Amino acid sequence: MIRRPLATFLLLLLLVVASSIQVVWMSQAVRQLHVELQSAQRDQDQHVAEQSRLLLERSALTAFQNVERIAEGELAMHFPESVERIER
Amino acid sequence: MKAWRHYAVVILFLLGCSGVAARVVYLNITERAFLQEQGDARAVRAQTLPAYRGVIYDRNGEPLAISTPTMAVWTDPSLVRLDGESVAALAGVLGVPARELQQQLDAAGRREFLYLARRLPWEQAQRVKALELKGVYLQREYRRYYPAAEIAAHVVGVTDVDEAGIEGVELAFDDRLRGQHGRKVVLQDRRGEVIKDLEFVRAPRFGSDMHLSLDLRLQYLAYREIKAAVLANGARSGSLVMLDAHTGEVLAMVNEPSYNPNDLSSGTREGMRNRAVTDTYEPGSTMKPFTALAALESGAYSPTTEIDTSPGYFSVGRKLIQDTGNLGTVSLTRALQKSSQVAFAKVALTLPDRAVFDVMNRAGLGQFVGTGLPGEAAGSLSEWGLDKPIVRATLAYGYGLAVSPLQLARAYVTLANDGVPLPVSILKHDPDAPVTGTPVFAAEQTRAVLHMMEAVTEKNGTAPRASVAGYRVAGKTGTARKVGAAGYDDERHVTLFAGIAPVSNPRLVMVVVINEPAGAAQGGGGVAAPVFGRVAARALRVLGEPPDDLLLAEGAGR
Repeated sequence: MIRRPLATFLLLLLLVVASSIQVVWMSQAVRQLHVELQSAQRDQDQHVAEQSRLLLERSALTAFQNVERIAEGELAMHFPESVERIER
Repeated sequence: MKAWRHYAVVILFLLGCSGVAARVVYLNITERAFLQEQGDARAVRAQTLPAYRGVIYDRNGEPLAISTPTMAVWTDPSLVRLDGESVAALAGVLGVPARELQQQLDAAGRREFLYLARRLPWEQAQRVKALELKGVYLQREYRRYYPAAEIAAHVVGVTDVDEAGIEGVELAFDDRLRGQHGRKVVLQDRRGEVIKDLEFVRAPRFGSDMHLSLDLRLQYLAYREIKAAVLANGARSGSLVMLDAHTGEVLAMVNEPSYNPNDLSSGTREGMRNRAVTDTYEPGSTMKPFTALAALESGAYSPTTEIDTSPGYFSVGRKLIQDTGNLGTVSLTRALQKSSQVAFAKVALTLPDRAVFDVMNRAGLGQFVGTGLPGEAAGSLSEWGLDKPIVRATLAYGYGLAVSPLQLARAYVTLANDGVPLPVSILKHDPDAPVTGTPVFAAEQTRAVLHMMEAVTEKNGTAPRASVAGYRVAGKTGTARKVGAAGYDDERHVTLFAGIAPVSNPRLVMVVVINEPAGAAQGGGGVAAPVFGRVAARALRVLGEPPDDLLLAEGAGR
């Protein structure tokens, strides 16, 4: 029969070993997550850069001067001289 | 014989052991703090996590200012010496002469930090990274880009190299736009590569986006026309403010000269001022509608009340007030249509001393507008000398006070909005929350004044060129001489037009100011009114306002 102090000692030893394994495991996880975080941040940067580029491109294409030029030049539209009403 | 050798070895060994032990104790206990510090200084680095500055949008979601991620390239000359080959490769990617880069490096000596390039576009930065140069590092930073460039430059403003607002909305709402940089502590290896995050001190907090009340389409229209008008008239500057008559939102605010916020090196300080809010002018005849309103409020006048202006001039004290010709006896409406100084001076002198001042005061002239834009002028409207007839007479036709174009526009909003003043806002309102206020004028009287002002844009008014086909337009021209070194200068004028359209349900309030046009004889009707007419014609259609000039509409439609 194992005496009580010894049992406590073994239990604590077990816990120490378990927690140290946990520490190793966790640091590995942290390293992995760090790598993931960095690549996610890189992705985010790329997406943000892309988004702002697309936003700028859209605003350049939909700029009033552009719309006006295409409407008047290529599509031969014009601003009504007087009020022209179309019955619906 | 053998025994002493044995002991000698043992003793030497023990001595060696205790020496090592002493050293261990010394390093670990006595010198620990110093060594730890030195180690950390070499491997532990605090990094800034740059925060994204908020995007500024116009009312329809078009970007006006946007931050794009870029990279800064830096090196540590005290640790790494770049060889000629690396310098040449780097110079090739950066697009600078290799010799220049080398000089930069040599000049840095043994400094620990040197920027080799800043604000590199993302793709270029990736090419620098691909070179895999030892001791050359990339650091993320943001560059502010303004797609509308000079069209919205004055309102949007600009940031400095560290993305702090220094002008316009960028400065006024810097707190909201600015993100808070994050911080983390990392462990680096010898080559400066991050191997471990030690501590996450603070996450970066991104700045909030802002939606301005500006409509980029109207802004563009306004800028194009004001620029053309300033050029055509050889004027010194020009401003245009367009407000929404229902909400008090600023739909467009432009000035010429302007500047390109994407490239501050080319512009001058002169172009950076937002004249529409910072500069004040004497409003001249654009004040006459308020005098007319004071006349109506007194109860002694109606739009048809006859006023005798012959012989076209009269004197108040020692000052001669004159019209360009003799108009004879005219109604109040016709006096406004023809912009008669004599008629309005006479009307003002029959009213109580404070009547005209009081109306202008209630319209908000001489009071701070409070849009938050930097450098906003409060103008001046003084009670001083109201007991003197000459002061009252000149106030009646817009001299002796100073207003900014924005203030003038706000005063006209009160006329357009049935006498209810609205807070002027540069930020977009929630469309579901109606803007309300306490009326300062009676609705029927402001409508009567509006109706009188419609005559100004008719064929025989002073500003037929402010009219818009299909819409009823009310407005008033103004020309004021500028104050020079010796009193009023006859050569330098400021010409104004303030207008409201469509009259039956006002939507737009627009003020056009052309400062010091070259043609001396041209008044507000010839210089500023055509700008109003052209901008309003397009703006009303862009906004989808139904035409209210029914006679024309019915005639042309069938």
